[in-house]
Amino acid sequence: MPLITGVGWVTVSGMGRGRERNDFAMTKGRLPRIARKSVFDKPHKHFGRMDEFSKLGLAAIAFALKDAGLYEWSEKRDIGIIASTVYGCLHTDIDYFDTVMPEEGQLASPALFSYTLPNCALGEAACHFGLTGACYVINEQQPSGIASLDAAMDGIEFNEFEKALAGICDTGCPPHISLEDKGIPGSAFVVIEKGPESSLTPYGSISLNEGGDIIFNGKRIENLIGLIQECLSESPE
Amino acid sequence: MQTALAAGETLCPSGINRATRVWITDATTVTALGDGLHGLWRRLLSGETETAIKPVRRFPVAGYRTHIAAHIEDLKQPGYRSMIHSLLDRLFSGMGPVPSDSVIITATTKAGIDNLEKLRRGVPADPNDILLDSVVDAVSQRFGLTGKGINISAACASSAIAVARGSALIAAGRAEAVLVFCVDIVTEFVFSGFSSLGALSSAPCMPFDRDRNGLSLGEGGAVLLLMSDKRAKQEGRPHLATVVGWGVANDAHHVTAPAPDGYGLIKAVRKALNRAMLDEEQVSAICAHGTGTIYNDLMEMTAFRHLFRGRNLPVYSVKGAIGHTMAASGGIEVALGAKALYEKVIPPTVGLLNPADEAIGMVSPDAAQMSGDYLLTSNSGFGGVNAAIILKRGEEASCH
Repeated sequence: MPLITGVGWVTVSGMGRGRERNDFAMTKGRLPRIARKSVFDKPHKHFGRMDEFSKLGLAAIAFALKDAGLYEWSEKRDIGIIASTVYGCLHTDIDYFDTVMPEEGQLASPALFSYTLPNCALGEAACHFGLTGACYVINEQQPSGIASLDAAMDGIEFNEFEKALAGICDTGCPPHISLEDKGIPGSAFVVIEKGPESSLTPYGSISLNEGGDIIFNGKRIENLIGLIQECLSESPE
Repeated sequence: MQTALAAGETLCPSGINRATRVWITDATTVTALGDGLHGLWRRLLSGETETAIKPVRRFPVAGYRTHIAAHIEDLKQPGYRSMIHSLLDRLFSGMGPVPSDSVIITATTKAGIDNLEKLRRGVPADPNDILLDSVVDAVSQRFGLTGKGINISAACASSAIAVARGSALIAAGRAEAVLVFCVDIVTEFVFSGFSSLGALSSAPCMPFDRDRNGLSLGEGGAVLLLMSDKRAKQEGRPHLATVVGWGVANDAHHVTAPAPDGYGLIKAVRKALNRAMLDEEQVSAICAHGTGTIYNDLMEMTAFRHLFRGRNLPVYSVKGAIGHTMAASGGIEVALGAKALYEKVIPPTVGLLNPADEAIGMVSPDAAQMSGDYLLTSNSGFGGVNAAIILKRGEEASCH
């Protein structure tokens, strides 16, 4: 049965990983500025150039991998990354198009355009951590993160990849666009493994029941936030 | 939903029920070559493709490296809504009945991003069309689908991944029908972006040609109704093709450039072959991503030469005819792939004049006979993503 072996997040309340703190919460508000040094021990040559959505996703993925003992690597690994998002990189879309308008496109920023696809945030994580499994973004009709968990668990179960990161990532609704505010800003990922590599105690087992519900340690899970809260309710060590 | 195994059926170690086959039972397309799969196939084969890639008049293009795209001339902008609704309406009208219990998986990279353009210029527009899940809502409402749906966003591999995800759900017995709906439109947003990256060709694109110098953007969509063979037989649905294999992998190399050694594509194809329980020799032809950019086409040929060593396996690209339709490209290519298998014809690679050294013996500007029953389609995109789908010949040309 697959196990949750790592948890990492960046939210309005702060950033971190499950084996270091258990005060995870996702609430509305302003996200913290993510400095390279607060995530990576060593210099990261692209981090400063990334858009906020990519920094947010990459940071939470880094914390989750560290929590699972999968941070260090020497050879590429068959780990998938699937993330749910509501607004994706809409802030970056706006920033990019603002470079298009002044001179009929002649000042369009190629650097910003590269980040107008939300899966590029996951691609940054794939490059940095050598992750070669399926890597894509899901937009759910009813945002909960469950679709990403579902896809990650299926992928492991069907041998599409060995391990997976499933999560949510949102920088929030841009203030100048009048959209229904249905996504909480922040990013949170869990690592799912069938055969854990590290000797760390897992948070618990995760499965799908016959009705398609996600069950963690015997409890039905409604959304990804609830899963992480459940993981942290009894810290593994 | 879970379905019980019937007598004689087996679950393979991976949890996939090998006895459940994933049929494509309905398919339609809308592209710059017109509405409907039959029309697209006929024009592709008869060489009536020169009108598709044409000067753009939808937005100012004077400042860009190129002025052309394969856009749909009469796509309307209905009121405050995005143009994408006009494209969706045309796709809806090409579809037969869709079971209300179908799981909906859409694939779009930018949905109604034209409405963001309007809003930034102070022109009234519906902001909801900008969100990627708005396409899921529109399709669910149109077909009265009862389940929750998702959109998959993975650059140019979005719809191939949607087909893979839908096939996995059916093969695992968790869905009996999945509606894959993929769309993208040519907007100033994407046109300016690809231009800024230096990725656009100044003339219609020339996939796998030694003189290729970029891609031609296109717009369009495809709808594929996937169904378990059991349900399809119960409902008397046609069998256009079977999805027998799928694989997705990341290069873990660069966010906007493909891995020169084809690492991710090779891995995705191997996963698809493994899922299909096929040897490389059983693949009859490849519908490549074939964008016409120097690096993509070279990477693909490197991967295919590595995977199919010693074989000059026929490879084609349709992007010289309909442009690069972004998230929709994989879905359109699967629909055309089903047609190619049924007709036993390998389509021409439109735009090809002189094959690049690495492509000699594999690509052709002319249509050719296809022998064998299996076709590989593949797509690769930004973010390092690669996806491969293997189709098996069906028994019917179309349900319409």
